[in-house]
Amino acid sequence: MIKFSNVSLIYPNSTTTVLENLNLEIAEGEMVLVIGSTGSGKSSLLRLINGLVPHHTGGILAGDVSVDGISTQLVKPGGMAHLIGIVGQNPANGFVADTVEEELAFGMEALNLPNDVMRKRVEEVLDLLSLTPLRNRVIATLSGGEQQRVAIGTALVAHPKVLVLDEPTSALDPIAAEDVLSILHRLVHDLSLTVVIAEHKLERVIGFADRIVQINGNGVANIGTPEEIMLNSPIAPPIVNLARALGLEEIGLSVRELRRMTTDIREASFEPLIASTPQQEVEIIITKALSVSYGQKIALKSVNARIYNNEIVAVMGRNGAGKSSLLKSIAGISDATSGSVVVSGIDPQTLKGKQRRTTLGFIPQEPSDLLYGQSVQIECDQADRDNQLSPGTTMQILTSLVPGITAHTHPRDLSEGQRLGLALSIVLASNPSVLILDEPTRGLDYNAKAELIRILIDFARATNKCVVLATHDVELVAELATRVIFIADGEIVADGPTLDVLLSSPAFAPQVSKVMSPQPWLRISDVITALETAR
Amino acid sequence: MTLTAGVTRFTGKNSLVLAIASLFSIAGFVWPFFYQGTDLPQTQFFFWLAVVVAFVLAIVEISSTRIDAKSLALLGVLAALISALRPLGAGAVGIEPMWFILILSARVFGASFGFILGMVSMFASAILTGGVGPWLGYQIFAAAWIGMAAGLLPKKVRGKSELAMLIVYGAIAAQIFGVLMDLQYWPWALGSDTQLSYVPSGAISENLKRFITFHCATAMAWDLPRAIFTITLIAFTGSAVLAALRRSYTRAAFLTPVVFSERVK
Repeated sequence: MIKFSNVSLIYPNSTTTVLENLNLEIAEGEMVLVIGSTGSGKSSLLRLINGLVPHHTGGILAGDVSVDGISTQLVKPGGMAHLIGIVGQNPANGFVADTVEEELAFGMEALNLPNDVMRKRVEEVLDLLSLTPLRNRVIATLSGGEQQRVAIGTALVAHPKVLVLDEPTSALDPIAAEDVLSILHRLVHDLSLTVVIAEHKLERVIGFADRIVQINGNGVANIGTPEEIMLNSPIAPPIVNLARALGLEEIGLSVRELRRMTTDIREASFEPLIASTPQQEVEIIITKALSVSYGQKIALKSVNARIYNNEIVAVMGRNGAGKSSLLKSIAGISDATSGSVVVSGIDPQTLKGKQRRTTLGFIPQEPSDLLYGQSVQIECDQADRDNQLSPGTTMQILTSLVPGITAHTHPRDLSEGQRLGLALSIVLASNPSVLILDEPTRGLDYNAKAELIRILIDFARATNKCVVLATHDVELVAELATRVIFIADGEIVADGPTLDVLLSSPAFAPQVSKVMSPQPWLRISDVITALETAR
Repeated sequence: MTLTAGVTRFTGKNSLVLAIASLFSIAGFVWPFFYQGTDLPQTQFFFWLAVVVAFVLAIVEISSTRIDAKSLALLGVLAALISALRPLGAGAVGIEPMWFILILSARVFGASFGFILGMVSMFASAILTGGVGPWLGYQIFAAAWIGMAAGLLPKKVRGKSELAMLIVYGAIAAQIFGVLMDLQYWPWALGSDTQLSYVPSGAISENLKRFITFHCATAMAWDLPRAIFTITLIAFTGSAVLAALRRSYTRAAFLTPVVFSERVK
């Protein structure tokens, strides 16, 4: 269905090849996963399939890409629209119409399909993706998972033979992600649709993939079955890393497989690990009976939370549960309907200017909301000046965080991970006592995530500092958080040490604990430590 | 070697059709000075019609040449933005925030683009504000010319002097728009017996004098605030908006070479 023959790609004004001599053939009805670290060329590969690269970006393309026998050299992306559906990283950016039904019809209008065909196809897609209850809803009011399903629907109405998705689950909670992926799985199996998908969160998708294309930074790609690729891949989900750490001869790609391989470890008895709970003395954030509502919608109901020094608190919950509202109230951005918030003894809403910067650092879901400069350099200089630091300090933090950013790049041209890095270094430059992050791992690869974890743990170790973050990423929480606050429907339903909260809910348990249950281990390091002490 | 599509440019045939259409609407503006009949002519309908026909012709002509997806998207977004800005100031004395975006976009994306943008956004905003009437054709051409002229300003000027140039242009454009709008309205505005009224088949100099007095007496209250508002907006937001537009120009990779080859090196 899709054929890459000897494909190499160079972007304009650049001398490095993004892809080099890539040969790849994807058969009809195959689900192929593209992996690689940030900036390795995953998105380029996806966009080569329908000719957006190089027709819309410019550049040198050697070799040939053809889909269903049509070469992208000869046919422009518009001519491929009926054949290939593309779903972007952030579905909200691609929506045109207001309601679900109109949005589904829009693509077909552009293809000039007759009215009765359009009606039929809209119904068909509504059923296929279980969107019928949402058909008249306004798209902006849908949850992330629902929006992603609508985006897939808009791609499917044209009856494409190929569906291309760029990180379809990165902004979703585990349950919504599962939803989207099982729909894709069904499309592949029932309609023999060819699906190409790029994703960082391998633990979610690897079980669905037939083959993996692994792109190394130098432009060379390896192609093979998930088992083959995972044997040596530097990018691997926790489950594979666990198998490697245990020195197993084979690797398993699902919890079930790995449990079968590790029966003896699970059934042995171990000394309980001594949890190193930090000393809790100073209360840094206190919320008392905090309620927040937006019009009719109640986002938080009488939340009482205390966050102490040296803690890293993860706020978890479904999309729309009230995580962001809690974070914004702590940052003093949204008004409380009733109740109070105190951060370091002050109402955060009264904080201004320098005092605000040194008290709390808030990184919103979309880090670019903080970035107004015309280039990375200007942003960094501004941060230096604001905090009376010697010139170049912020830039230094940034390069240690995410190496390889060119100083004159516009902040909005950075990748998701780089942008987060920039926002984080600017916030860290003012050395706040509380760091608040909303969904920080969207679009981060495993390396960047490891670096983020290191920085946040270092940060929280200093005196009278704490970190609060909202996230869907259970693996991150397992590695990082000392405490988890679980929110549902605006209320705190669980608040306790990470271990207790994560193990009590199967949907939010990390892979390692799913494999090792009933042993109370969250991290690979826990497993190793337990095994070593037993020895 | 091919290129990725460029910002839309007029072909020779486009330019010819547009020149003819423009001539018609210029005639629609300046006929009072050359008219030789004794009574106010009923031919007003002719010019209203002619301007509308010219507009339709221009749109048809432009859309018959292939506008590529990127130009069209850019045109759509900017026209929507300008149209949405127009009702913000509708009715208030000359507070028309649409001009500065039109001028700045035309500056970045060129004369052809500026012409179409002026046309489309004036048309769209008229529908949005319910301001559809005989004056619409005149407004559309006035906006199109303002966009085109902004795109024709010298390209090499950058930085502070660029901003100064655009401020001056903004002031002139705001005035010219006022003059043109007065011109299409003046023959019908006052009846036939005031000192400022249009005199059919009067001498050009006499009518010009009357028109200028009329313009100064009535419209300055609109034109001056419009000019001040426009140049204030350009002065305060100009460099940021220009930078954003220029960035989208680079991001859209207009006119970047696309090469298909056997091998890379």
